[in-house]
Amino acid sequence: MNEKISSILKSVEKPGRYSGGEYGAIIKEKDAVKARFAFCFPDTYEIGMSNLGMRILYGALNREPDIWCERMFAPWVDMQQKMREYDVPLWAHESGDPVKDFDILGITLQYEMCYTTVLQVLKLSHIPLTAAARGEDDPIVIGGGPCAYNPEPVADFFDCFSIGEGEDNLVEFTKLYISMKEDGSYTRAAFLRRAAATVKGIYVPSLYDVSYHDDGTIAAITPKYEDVPKQVEKCIIADMDKAFFPDKVVMPYIEAVHDRIMLEVYRGCIRGCRFCQAGMIYRPVREKSHEVLNAQARCLYDNTGYEEISLTSLSISDYTELEPLTRSLLEWTDKNMVSLSLPSLRVDSFSRELMDRIASVRTSSLTFAPEAGTQRLRDVINKNVREEDLMRAVNVAFAGGKTNVKLYFMNGLPTETSEDIEGIATLAQSVVHEYYRNKERPKGRSPQVTISVSCFIPKPFTPFQWEAQDTMEMLREKQEYLYDKITDRKVRYTHHDARVSHIEAVLARGNRKLCRALALAAERGFCFDAWDEFFDYDKWLSVFADTGIDPAFFANRQMGLDEVLPWDVIDIGVSKEFLKRERARAYEAATTPSCREACAGCGANRLGGERTPCPKRGN
Amino acid sequence: MKQNDVKFTLPLLDAPRTLRVRFRKVGNLQYISHLDLQRTFSRVLVRAGLPLWYTKGFNPHIKMVFGMPLPVGSESECEFLDIRIEREMSEAEVMARLNAELTDELSVTAVYPAMRKFSEIAYAEYLYTVVTAGADEALADRVREALTTGPLTVVKKTKSGEKEVNILEALHRTDVRLENGAIVIEAVLAAGEGKYLSPEALITALREKTGILSGDPTVEHYRILRRRALLADGVSTFS
Repeated sequence: MNEKISSILKSVEKPGRYSGGEYGAIIKEKDAVKARFAFCFPDTYEIGMSNLGMRILYGALNREPDIWCERMFAPWVDMQQKMREYDVPLWAHESGDPVKDFDILGITLQYEMCYTTVLQVLKLSHIPLTAAARGEDDPIVIGGGPCAYNPEPVADFFDCFSIGEGEDNLVEFTKLYISMKEDGSYTRAAFLRRAAATVKGIYVPSLYDVSYHDDGTIAAITPKYEDVPKQVEKCIIADMDKAFFPDKVVMPYIEAVHDRIMLEVYRGCIRGCRFCQAGMIYRPVREKSHEVLNAQARCLYDNTGYEEISLTSLSISDYTELEPLTRSLLEWTDKNMVSLSLPSLRVDSFSRELMDRIASVRTSSLTFAPEAGTQRLRDVINKNVREEDLMRAVNVAFAGGKTNVKLYFMNGLPTETSEDIEGIATLAQSVVHEYYRNKERPKGRSPQVTISVSCFIPKPFTPFQWEAQDTMEMLREKQEYLYDKITDRKVRYTHHDARVSHIEAVLARGNRKLCRALALAAERGFCFDAWDEFFDYDKWLSVFADTGIDPAFFANRQMGLDEVLPWDVIDIGVSKEFLKRERARAYEAATTPSCREACAGCGANRLGGERTPCPKRGN
Repeated sequence: MKQNDVKFTLPLLDAPRTLRVRFRKVGNLQYISHLDLQRTFSRVLVRAGLPLWYTKGFNPHIKMVFGMPLPVGSESECEFLDIRIEREMSEAEVMARLNAELTDELSVTAVYPAMRKFSEIAYAEYLYTVVTAGADEALADRVREALTTGPLTVVKKTKSGEKEVNILEALHRTDVRLENGAIVIEAVLAAGEGKYLSPEALITALREKTGILSGDPTVEHYRILRRRALLADGVSTFS
């Protein structure tokens, strides 16, 4: 770290965010590597260090002797101000060297509200904001992560995107960069063209023309050259047992948001909830075997000393080998005082046995996500959870000594009526009643049922991608309606800010025209919009107004089933036909069985995959 | 067998043994707070596979007791941590295992049976290196004078509000010199319970009184290094 940065550290909040020097951080000789890669998580250090994807890609890139990948985070506002004051460009975490001198800058896009932070990171790095303005000496800026599945709202700011799982893909991309530098054929344009044509999953926005109809919808997205793919197919790791696994972990000194072992059990989800983007974009489901997981968990424990292992996946109780996995883990975790935790529980598979095995026994609270208040609406969204499942699950919890239950719901789902909203209150009330009916409940204590209600956001690549989001007025009305229906003080009600959800919807379904709004937002200093204290709805509206963007066009418009969607240029393996079929079934309130029960023909199995429950693949 | 399981095969001690770990915390690690340091050590101790003694309660945890506090932004060659083990393991092995899980900037310099109590620490010796504009003999004189004649005050925030503290009362001895264009101060400050003076206070007071370090912070900088913990006589080293 250079002296200049080091001196500023004494005058900022939480200097441990910037000081580095962590155990496990990878330091290489900078003259001995052929490509320097900065991997940016566009939020604070504490949040970025909790991200498993970043850890995996950091390890995968650094396994290559020719590549040195360093971490990079968004400095907090006090540090940003000092950097501007003393003209210090943003640096990479390990070396302290300015990122503008790097070969490649990768930025992970985990949530739409980070876009403004991404742009501030570029500005603070003294890297030109748009790909078009960058010169031969600027780093190649590549985006990835879940939001890259609709990269169009930020297309101008990235030279390219990596679509899908990056473990192998980013390495191949960087190796191509190195080889073109070495044989002298490298120019920015030549490299991007070759990457688009030869590296799977690489999308280069500048190589496509987008034309529009008079009504603002897209007429066509056309590659400019023959060798550029019409549609970019996402990358997947076929065999998760053989996927790169980061056994060496960087141990943050300051507390990360998720400061524990994160054991990725499988990718994808067999369920197919119709609002859920993760359930679609990560298909096909690919499990790791329990033997491999147990060995990886043990290795992580020995290498970290963490006292908690969290089994992370979209719906952990759907893991086919959960029983043997927890059994083999408990053989050594118990005597080492290590506890297990599960982030997500489905009510239909929740059992006393499972509860007893997980760490949350120490806390008094459990969380379930019924998502909707009535069976009809739960069928519409394909949640496949029945009220009796929930009641059975909470009874298990109460009998096991729990008093607090948290329930997640969503407002504004397609076809929602006032009856569905009232159903949320009724369901919460039934849980309270169930507590008092349970004879094994903790004696002398009263229950607390918390209902946390978010706002439905139509997301690309879901059966609901065409749906209109409720207007803010409607969402607020619904929130107030629900508030009035709750009469018991044992039911606590919290809801998301509808204004944030509205902006998120605009950014999620946006097209390239949004780039000019984001550029103006960057100019006006927007940053950390994922943080309540910095999000300013009125400022967003004025940015849209000043750039001629109608936010309702993206958020509140029912998109046409035959309309060319901004993200049609990306192929996630799941077919558009399947999404349309699922949408039609939603309007009939017809459920679709999980992947394990029957194949619904989503199409993702053509991508391959080992240990997948897809019946069409005979596993 | 996994490194971490070796501990289960060692002979049990008759009673848990308390070991004193002396460590340095320098460089980038000066920015890590006490709370973060505690969390870090709790993991390092586990990772090192030490035969730790756990409290016998509903929520068993390991026992760690740290010596005097070190403020964020100060470095140290003499931090102390007491740990408790329940099985036989040599001090040399404890040290080697810990250092295998640490970096240079946070590393163990000695492990031995704890003989003295932390409450016996009365003073700490610091080395200040101040790179500031106009550092010359005259400025060194002004600093020396400020540290000897006083009064040299700093506002201290306490629970009952703010109060002015005369630093000279907590200053046991000082030596000021000019070295390679920097003002170098050696100071022994009170560090006993209830009398502890943060080493940062000296900089704050001198900045106000003599005008050091009031320019561009990317050019001017300072380093505080705690070198020794001292007993009540102000001379003998605490260990």
